[in-house]
Amino acid sequence: MTTELAARALMGMSLGFHIVYAALGIGIPLLLLLAEGISLKTGDEDYHRMARGWARTSAVLFAIGAVSGTALSFELGFLFPYFMDAAGPMIGLPFTMEGFAFFLEAIFLGLYLYGEKRLSRRALFLATIPIAVGSAASAVFVISVNAWMNSPEGFATLTAGSLADGIASVNPLDAMTTSAWPHMAVHGTIASYVAAGLAVAGFYAWSLLRNRSPLRDGNRPYDRKAMTLSLGVATAVIPLMAVSGHLSAQSLADDQPRKLAAMEAHFETREGAPLILGGIPNPDTGEVALGIPIPRGLSLLAHNDPNAAVTGLEDFPRDTWPNTLVVHWSFDAMVLMWLAMMGAAAWFWIDRIRRRESSPDRRLLKAIVGVSPLGMLAIEAGWFVTEFGRQPFIVREYMRVSEAVTPREGIWLVLLVFFAVYSALTVMLIWLLLRATISPAPAAADTSEPAGPKTQSQEGDRS
Amino acid sequence: MSDLVTAANAAAALLGAALVFYAVFAGADFGVGVWIAESRLRGRGGHQLSLLRAMGPVWETNHIWLIVVIVTLFTAFPSAFAALFIALLVPLVLLLLGITVRGAAFAYWHYGESLPRRLPATVETLAVASLLTPFFMGMAVTSPAAGTIRLVQGEVVTGAWESWTSGFTLMGGLTALGICAYLTPIYMTVRTAGETREGFRRRGIAGALTLGVLTTATLPVAWRSAPDFFAELTSPVPLAFVAAAVILGITALGDLWIKQYRAAQLTAAATVTTTIGGFLAALYPDLILGQMSIQEAAAPRSTLIAYLVTLALGSLILVPSLAYLYYTYRGNPDPELPPNPTNHESGDEPPATEEPESDESR
Repeated sequence: MTTELAARALMGMSLGFHIVYAALGIGIPLLLLLAEGISLKTGDEDYHRMARGWARTSAVLFAIGAVSGTALSFELGFLFPYFMDAAGPMIGLPFTMEGFAFFLEAIFLGLYLYGEKRLSRRALFLATIPIAVGSAASAVFVISVNAWMNSPEGFATLTAGSLADGIASVNPLDAMTTSAWPHMAVHGTIASYVAAGLAVAGFYAWSLLRNRSPLRDGNRPYDRKAMTLSLGVATAVIPLMAVSGHLSAQSLADDQPRKLAAMEAHFETREGAPLILGGIPNPDTGEVALGIPIPRGLSLLAHNDPNAAVTGLEDFPRDTWPNTLVVHWSFDAMVLMWLAMMGAAAWFWIDRIRRRESSPDRRLLKAIVGVSPLGMLAIEAGWFVTEFGRQPFIVREYMRVSEAVTPREGIWLVLLVFFAVYSALTVMLIWLLLRATISPAPAAADTSEPAGPKTQSQEGDRS
Repeated sequence: MSDLVTAANAAAALLGAALVFYAVFAGADFGVGVWIAESRLRGRGGHQLSLLRAMGPVWETNHIWLIVVIVTLFTAFPSAFAALFIALLVPLVLLLLGITVRGAAFAYWHYGESLPRRLPATVETLAVASLLTPFFMGMAVTSPAAGTIRLVQGEVVTGAWESWTSGFTLMGGLTALGICAYLTPIYMTVRTAGETREGFRRRGIAGALTLGVLTTATLPVAWRSAPDFFAELTSPVPLAFVAAAVILGITALGDLWIKQYRAAQLTAAATVTTTIGGFLAALYPDLILGQMSIQEAAAPRSTLIAYLVTLALGSLILVPSLAYLYYTYRGNPDPELPPNPTNHESGDEPPATEEPESDESR
């Protein structure tokens, strides 16, 4: 295995692992904020218990997010040192801001997660605001870095068109606010609300199906409230994903036509370009076998004009083509998952409005369980699109991954070790989460209180 | 004077400050693992639970100082960052493993507290990872001063192992571990009472003596193994730091002896600050001694200014938030109990960690 491949694999694995916890770390705080807010406003204790239940699990997930995020900042350095050498002055500003957002998030998480006995209910609610804001801000800032890698701006190089010899000047604010940033930041951040909302909703739909509340007191209204709240957040955002995704694709058509061409398996530059669904792209012949073409679809989507010309991969040197199969399929998978999520969400709300109460039937509950991992999988797919779609570059047009990678050998061993560690952590986490939901509650605590593992502490009468 | 106050030097000072904050805050969290290992080896329960509970609400926040160190290094000194991350690949991977395993072990232990069956060996894993992480951190941080990393035209030419292994970096690793072990019990004396406090006091004294021996032993080792660094260390400014560290260290020990815990906490943190300060002052004006200076490694001025302004503005939010966090979790190490150390002790639990939560908060 070449060092470049091992380094890419390690970075990819670490990010693929971290992105799950990062997305939950952005999405769950919003749910906490809403639940604590509703509880404070209406006096409905169910919402507070719900939030405290999520908080227990979140403490684990967020801790894994914190350490796996640390791994990324180290890996950037020891896998791609020449990239960091060249790009540090440009991407440092958003990373510094992310550091502060991260601080804010960690501080108030510590206060919220552990502070039930030391803070008032109002203070607990208020603590969820900086957590939600801080986590969203850290996503927006870190995506700025990725946006810069996709559309590098705000600097002048010593050698034209290459970062390898360093930079002559830099404007950090311009580098932070690139043209790709707004679309990517919005799309990536709100996707986290979908992923977290659906994952949580799926859990409660599952426990309703099992006819057993995670609270073990058969409190089905509680489960329904929790499911409706989390599904509400997800469904409010799912339609926006399509809007922001569409705008992103249109900006790609202008700024990163090569990536768009790879996403759509579009080889030939032509007017009235068709949109090809699925199929197996063959870069050698420039044809897509078994794909379903929608005439003029791509021109319409990319430029709002069915006859517009869309740049194909043929306009770029052959050695700068991304892997069309991976990029095209990841993109189609993302869109397909969006359709499934949209369908389930629409079904839930239509059913709810028609029947005027939140007691969905079993088929609907099964559908919600079915789509619950799709938000997360769609994030992974979308991330595949943007990362594989940028290959072979680490900074588009300015630096290839091969120029960025460490001269040290033995990276495959580091990959192996981290693969083992992340696998072990995942297995143990799943074991723990299953323990928490399947096993009976510990016999401790006050019997009059519903004391499940997810709500260990007693609420209410705090003297 | 004017070339002392530059944007690059300001960024370097902040880099050093972040490192000190990491040591002074997160060091105590790693010290938790050190003392758990100690009590396990002696077959006693010690004060494991109170130690683990005390770190719960704050360890993630304390950990972020490390992120600040890393981000400052690559933003303000990208070529030093690249060189160090090539040269120090091995210890960085090892300490990263330690960070990952320690964090996960704590999170899984904490989650498991509420389950009927816990994941086995989380506390033991945490203890081992808490020993390894500061050790390799100490080796990595002292390598730039050890003369083990050589650059030719900005490229690292020393090997994956020789870049960070010498008698001096070994002492650096041990000293880092010593710093962690030193801070934890002293901080805990302020937050506990009675027997528990006495136990921490004794451990604090042991930690102080150990750290004193380690730092003293580092001097002859540095003289032999890192002569360039030793020469820098014996120039006036670093020597002033060393003298301050000695005086503060003895004061902290005295404070512990006469049971002035609040004063002991402050002087202990100051001892660590001046110890690391002395190391950094000897390194100045270089980032990699004799190989790369702060000035050579510095990013363009526009980046440094943007970094400094961001840091100044960010601190306006950060400082009060941090103060609120530490204020909330002052006193009793168990966040489930009120802060004032009352007569009913928490954290005195004998041997096992299986102890059911004595959650008697009315």
